[in-house]
Amino acid sequence: MGSAEEDYNFVFKVVLIGESGVGKTNLLSRFTRNEFNHDSRTTIGVEFSTRSILVGDAVVKAQIWDTAGLERYRAITSAYYRGAVGALVVFDITKHQTYDVVERWLKELYDHAEPSIVVMLVGNKTDLAQAREVPTEEARMFADNNGLLFVETSALDSTNVEQAFETILKEIFHKVQQQKQRNSQSNTVALASGSPDGAATAQEEKRPCCVAI
Amino acid sequence: MARRSPPRNGVGGHDFDSKKKRKVAEIYQALNSDPIDVATLRRMAISEGGLLTDEIRCKVWPKLLSVNTDDLPPLPGKELREDNKDYQQVLLDVRRSLRRFPPGMPDDQREGLQEELIDIILHVLKRNPQLHYYQGYHDIVVTFLLVVGDRLATALVEKLSTHHLRDFMDPTMDNTKHILNYLMPIIDQVNPKVHDFMQSAEVGTIFALSWLITWFGHVLSDFRHVVRLYDFFLACHPLMPIYFAAVIVLYREQEVLDCECDMASVHHLLSQIPQDLPYETLISRAGDLFVQFPPSELAREAAQQQAERTAASTFKDFELASVQQRPDTVLRRRFRERLRAEERTESILAKPRTNRLVKLAVMGLTVALGAAALAVVKSALEWAPKFELQIFP
Repeated sequence: MGSAEEDYNFVFKVVLIGESGVGKTNLLSRFTRNEFNHDSRTTIGVEFSTRSILVGDAVVKAQIWDTAGLERYRAITSAYYRGAVGALVVFDITKHQTYDVVERWLKELYDHAEPSIVVMLVGNKTDLAQAREVPTEEARMFADNNGLLFVETSALDSTNVEQAFETILKEIFHKVQQQKQRNSQSNTVALASGSPDGAATAQEEKRPCCVAI
Repeated sequence: MARRSPPRNGVGGHDFDSKKKRKVAEIYQALNSDPIDVATLRRMAISEGGLLTDEIRCKVWPKLLSVNTDDLPPLPGKELREDNKDYQQVLLDVRRSLRRFPPGMPDDQREGLQEELIDIILHVLKRNPQLHYYQGYHDIVVTFLLVVGDRLATALVEKLSTHHLRDFMDPTMDNTKHILNYLMPIIDQVNPKVHDFMQSAEVGTIFALSWLITWFGHVLSDFRHVVRLYDFFLACHPLMPIYFAAVIVLYREQEVLDCECDMASVHHLLSQIPQDLPYETLISRAGDLFVQFPPSELAREAAQQQAERTAASTFKDFELASVQQRPDTVLRRRFRERLRAEERTESILAKPRTNRLVKLAVMGLTVALGAAALAVVKSALEWAPKFELQIFP
């Protein structure tokens, strides 16, 4: 699950976005630490956690940024979409309002992130099936029509959490591989590039360090 | 500066008791004098140990905020929650703030307090339609609720919201971002190396956002530390929390410099606030820094930070910056001297940083906190209302 000095071949930056209270922080803690917190406190600003998984032969380190969902924080959080190669747009299946605004979240995302970003729509809280307000098929259709991956999860009972992250990371991986092949002759790198230590950050090259003086 | 020194929190038993007794006596004397000696109360709130007990806080906090305890606003009725645009969000945030309540508290008692917390927040928002709720506001309000109870908390929070917290409660985050812009210039004055490292990493200042807008209530797990800081901030200039944030970063100098120089690593390191900070030492340092580099001196640099990022709202920033220039004669003189010095050097890069560092090292902790306190506290309440006028001309 990731020591400080693990070896990895790729770093993928992924952002978690969606309305306040849909369960972004718990999805992240379930994936990175296998934890669920009933009183997971409000996220103010942005935080991130990492976890490395194996995709084929490659170790992919996911750097997943959790963001505040409240509208007023968007001016701050959207700056962190830069360089993301994946995004999970999360809604709460028991609150239709959080699904209604998915389109706005997508717009926000495409305004600030790379066009090639892989996006997954995530309907969270399936453990509260009796309170469901968003039918699975409705959300799936929306995802299909908008070229998004789709999954329903429960961070509380772990359903599909692992699968959600693995799916999106694999998808990003494939995209990176394709891009690599396509760009093998040229130097332009849109989604990934190698860095000196053999790792590839998903975005740009790693800036040289700066401990000068 | 920013060398780790042993915490001063754990002063030895007997000596501490007698010191504490003396302080309590001094506080009550200030409370009982006519008129009430608010300057002394401010000094007590800042100096070592702060206001010591919640019983004293109940009496002194209102004085620090000029709140008349004989004329408290009425408690709200049931209609408060109906048709309230903020209710759902407040409910959501309060429900998941369990960790802000004392660990051993029985569930029903905690639930009762959570209901009160919701009411206080909605009540203040309703009475002040110009104020906008933000996530983290509940972290501030719960601190007051737990220390002084719902009735008094409502009055104190209302005053605080229209003064110290006013900028955080705008419809947008522009003014909050502006205040965060003071962080890097403060760090630069004390330790250019840390400043430059952070600039190269492009870490930004968002790691300090929750510290600033919750007065550290969101990130510190020990309630005693939270109230100690609230004593300090209530007695000081509204920008003091950003000085305290800078002091924490500076205190972690070595960790920062050892960190990988990229945005994610530095952001991650700084976001995780150590829980065992030497609070008394850091409070004292923050006070010293405020005196040496008052906001008026940093205003231009802070505004510049903004300008570098976006041209928009720059004019407003300058306007705000100029309002913050309220130095007393000493500070004004110092400001002029610095201006002259800068004219001589003609270059920001050639800023006489070394001198400043030496000066700081010499003054360091030897600056009597009393002196710092006096300079710091003068402008706390006079400052905000004028500030507000400028935002809403």
